[in-house]
Amino acid sequence: MKQKSTLKKLLGSREFLLLVIVIAMFLIVSAINPAFFSFKAISDMMKNNAVTMVMALGMLCVMLVGGIDISCMSALALAAMSIGMLFKYGGLTSTILAFLIATAIGTACGFVVGLIISRADVPPIIATMGFMYIWRALGYLVSFGGEWAGANVLGTFPNFGTGSLLGLNNLVWVIIIAYVIFFIFMKWFRLGRKIYAVGSNPEAAQVSGINVRNIKLLVYTIMGVLSGLSGALYVATYASAQPNMNETTGAMDIIAACVIGGVSMSGGRGTVIGVLLGSFIMAMIPKALPLLHIDALWQNTIKGVLILVVVVVNAVLQRVADRNALSRREM
Amino acid sequence: MAGKSGRTINNVPESSVKRMILSWEGILVLVLIGVNIFCAFFSDVYNVANLLRQMPYYLAEMFLMIIMAFILVMGEIDISVGATVCLCATVSCIVCNTGAPFIVVILATLVTGTLCGALNALILTIFTELPPMIVTLATQIIFRGIAEIVLGSGGSISASNTQGFKILSTKINLGFGKVPIILFLVLIIGIIFAVILGKSTFGRRVYAVGTNRLAAHYSGIHVQKIRFIIYTMMGTAAAICALFYVSSSYGANTTTGNGYEMDAIAMAVFGGISSTGGKGNLAGGILSAFAIVCLRVGLGQKNVHAQVVLLIVGALLVAAVALPNIIGSLRRAVKKS
Amino acid sequence: MAEEYVLELKGITKIFPGVKALNRVQFQLKPGEVHALMGENGAGKSTFIKVITGVHKAEEGEMYLYGKKVDFKGPKDAQEAGIAAVYQHATSYPDLTVAENIFMGHEIIKHGMIQWKTMNEEANKLLKRMHAEFDATAEMGTLSVAEQQMVEIAKALSTNARIIILDEPTASLTKSESEELYRIVDQLRESGVSVIFISHRFEDMYRLASRVTVFRDSQYIGTYNVDGITNADLIKAMVGREITDLFPKPQVQIGKEMLRVEHLSRTGYFKDVSFEVHAGEILGFTGLVGAGRTEVVEAVCGVTHPDSGKVYLEGKEVNIKQPSDAMDLGIILLPEDRQKEGLIMSWGLGRNVTLPVISKLANGFFNNEPKERELSKDLLEEVDTKAVDIFQPASSLSGGNQQKVVVAKALAQEMKVVIMDEPTKGVDVGAKAEIYSIMGDLAKQGYAIILISSEMPEILGMADRILVMCNGRKTGELNNDEVTQEMILELAMEKGTTTKGGAAS
Repeated sequence: MKQKSTLKKLLGSREFLLLVIVIAMFLIVSAINPAFFSFKAISDMMKNNAVTMVMALGMLCVMLVGGIDISCMSALALAAMSIGMLFKYGGLTSTILAFLIATAIGTACGFVVGLIISRADVPPIIATMGFMYIWRALGYLVSFGGEWAGANVLGTFPNFGTGSLLGLNNLVWVIIIAYVIFFIFMKWFRLGRKIYAVGSNPEAAQVSGINVRNIKLLVYTIMGVLSGLSGALYVATYASAQPNMNETTGAMDIIAACVIGGVSMSGGRGTVIGVLLGSFIMAMIPKALPLLHIDALWQNTIKGVLILVVVVVNAVLQRVADRNALSRREM
Repeated sequence: MAGKSGRTINNVPESSVKRMILSWEGILVLVLIGVNIFCAFFSDVYNVANLLRQMPYYLAEMFLMIIMAFILVMGEIDISVGATVCLCATVSCIVCNTGAPFIVVILATLVTGTLCGALNALILTIFTELPPMIVTLATQIIFRGIAEIVLGSGGSISASNTQGFKILSTKINLGFGKVPIILFLVLIIGIIFAVILGKSTFGRRVYAVGTNRLAAHYSGIHVQKIRFIIYTMMGTAAAICALFYVSSSYGANTTTGNGYEMDAIAMAVFGGISSTGGKGNLAGGILSAFAIVCLRVGLGQKNVHAQVVLLIVGALLVAAVALPNIIGSLRRAVKKS
Repeated sequence: MAEEYVLELKGITKIFPGVKALNRVQFQLKPGEVHALMGENGAGKSTFIKVITGVHKAEEGEMYLYGKKVDFKGPKDAQEAGIAAVYQHATSYPDLTVAENIFMGHEIIKHGMIQWKTMNEEANKLLKRMHAEFDATAEMGTLSVAEQQMVEIAKALSTNARIIILDEPTASLTKSESEELYRIVDQLRESGVSVIFISHRFEDMYRLASRVTVFRDSQYIGTYNVDGITNADLIKAMVGREITDLFPKPQVQIGKEMLRVEHLSRTGYFKDVSFEVHAGEILGFTGLVGAGRTEVVEAVCGVTHPDSGKVYLEGKEVNIKQPSDAMDLGIILLPEDRQKEGLIMSWGLGRNVTLPVISKLANGFFNNEPKERELSKDLLEEVDTKAVDIFQPASSLSGGNQQKVVVAKALAQEMKVVIMDEPTKGVDVGAKAEIYSIMGDLAKQGYAIILISSEMPEILGMADRILVMCNGRKTGELNNDEVTQEMILELAMEKGTTTKGGAAS
């Protein structure tokens, strides 16, 4: 009986529903265009979305404690621009060092944001909005007012983006490693569970001795680490760094991936698997549209409608479930 | 059944002069003066005439701030307005290019904006459990997405018949300089809405909704009706903003209005309107908006990069919210020891 | 000598900015005893508990645990010393599993990793000990309040606590759930755990405690043996004065029918409820918590929407779609939860009172503030609120005075039918008497009153007629002169075997 209920739980879970959607999308697109059903196509898709996929993990942590971070893309730009300029003028050549520097800059950004939010009680949307401006502007300043660092100055760094290990692209490896680490961290580590606890009930967490402020500081720092790392990934993927990178989309794609993946805005709910599937769905849309002969111009509208549909359907399902639970109540 | 203990309860408000000077609005007046003094020293061409000439471009965003203040007081947020401005600007250029009379252009733009706002309002009032942040995030992507589809691969459009839009950028000479009509309009609308928020029954209800929604509902306030009205008005404000945007740039593209929602929120929050709801007033919002506009004009005159201005705005915003909290906790710590 | 007590506190003083929350209080807990802690709201009980559990640090005083002086720096120290608290408001994590809730803060960890399997097994063992009917992998948010409380106690047990503090554990439990709790507490005592028990219910104290300590106005009043103390003595100790006539029920000529409700139903909440109430009459609405009383009146007042049924006011059918419709008709609800539904806590008293009537006072679109100030002052004085001015926030008042503000808010409106939902819940004895007297005055003035209450003495003392609900249905209607507590309880309890299986599987 117990096993059955576990199975039932699994089938009824949000992640399962998402998995069905991902597989269905995949099959439909592959049926129309078999070219999509290939190892390379999937690998390319992951490679092109490495930044969003990796940063979505940080956004998961932030959203789990009921926060939001719209400054992360600016932090990415600052980190990326910094190593770009170091390659150009600073005599930087080492790939590893570039990754370390970018990650360190991102970490510092996240730490500052976390400090302001956790210590000065600034609402996350306001604080990260301010830092969205600040990091972006610092990115411009670092680039001497808008210089680019192109492939010609980056030396061997872009090789990381094209190189592969055991037949898998390096970027895909980074994604896999990041997701495995977070999956284990969020499920089996006390610190990961504390993030859930703080998001689920901050007052209770405080009473039971969890330092809520430090957990908040932690999640924004994690977001910063991943933003910095993604900054380096971005430069490696596109072989260029420019101060306005990802300025228009901002953090919206990342938040959207989390929301589609079932992460709740009010905190406490969301899983690494959900985020993985959510970012897969987000990644598949631009890939799938040309194959379905839909103009690429439509992709944003479709993304937006999809988010809306997901949250509305979710709300409707919840209402139906509530109503069923009520009508089952015997009187 | 008179009071049994004969206790009397005071109902005479304290004299408010002292409070007014020490209030955030009082500080903002000083900030506004300080910004102008700074700009006058920083830029040799910073004077009333130039200020009035260069202001309109930045003033358009104030329309957004005015209604955004209502949304923030309700404890909510609308991040779709920038995209609504984009869509409205696109529509106004398209209608304008068909050769329609300018009044039709205005109406079409207003209708577009209002419909966008009404869509947000409709979703948020039907599905009251959804967070406004997510819904307006989705509609933001949709509105800009529609503009992208309409604008096609070129991604931009210019208004060929600028005759009508010139009316909107008319200036009236008042002796000390030519005052653009947008300044009049912003001030008039700003004051009207400041009075509505601060003095009317509607405004009181908005504060009630923003402070304790459930208690407001139990007190007979039509919470969803109020939310519907405000989100719809937000769309209308975006349309007005778009009209003035086109009247100064004579065109629109897919990045039009990008970040406007953030600017509007920044102006309001810097003006002391808490994003957590129930606090602040529009007088603060208007003062802070003018301070930011003056700063932008002043720095712009010396070709300071727009990004640096944003850096300053961002730092001011964070500081404005963080400093009172930091000072408060320091004070408490000092008291303790 | 010191070994006589497991826990002893001496001369504890705790100062919050501006107030002395505890003034040199003392307390002794014997091994294996259940010790009740009583006092009016604001007497300092909760602060005292928080001092014991290390949440607050006392400015003065000493604490001895098993005769040894201890000094807790934080909740963690207290936990490690074997003290666990189950707080009044559930401190659980609704999105996490039961097992995780139980082991939060002391997870079972091996090689740095959480051992889920062992944790679930251990949690199930604890749950079994308490005869819980749910699994450790269930999500906390899906459990009932009583079940969540069980988890909280299991959590206390999982830390091997020797001293367990229960802060108003029965406040939101039904009768049968309270019985279950009593059984668990008995079990705890038998296993040698000492229990500190805070409650407003005398019943809890008589049933469980061997000794009772009373606090009043942040001070220690005394410790008594439960066997040798009467209700009246205790009330006197808690209030500092004798309350002679708690229920000043006036003799009122009952007039014409004001409100009639016919066959009102709302799926999942209540079914086929009919009743009427007359001018000058107090209709008592009772039943166990969760019987659907609040839901019925909320549906009548338009807060929620009934699925079927009719409502008549003074003989005419009325269509109430939202709270403002009910208010316009003169049906005024004083909601159950003052702090969340009744008042805007950060607002001044005056604005709270006039909120429902701002349009009536307004000059066109504009608020008429002088008129608002005048009206709110008059009304707040009328109900004798202990307040300095009308601008102080509602959160600065005690529970009883907050309730008076809620009453003043109702008085600001034109009333025909007044519905009071648990008006004395969490209110201290002194303020209770004042609220009853206001209620009596209202009846005298010819308003029809519905009083929802779980407290039997209150219902028996104030109501003319008593309507009993059980599990969403009206199970009886009794005249007060012919009724006994036993009769009400019989109607309020579920008949036959409980039908639990249906919804759970």
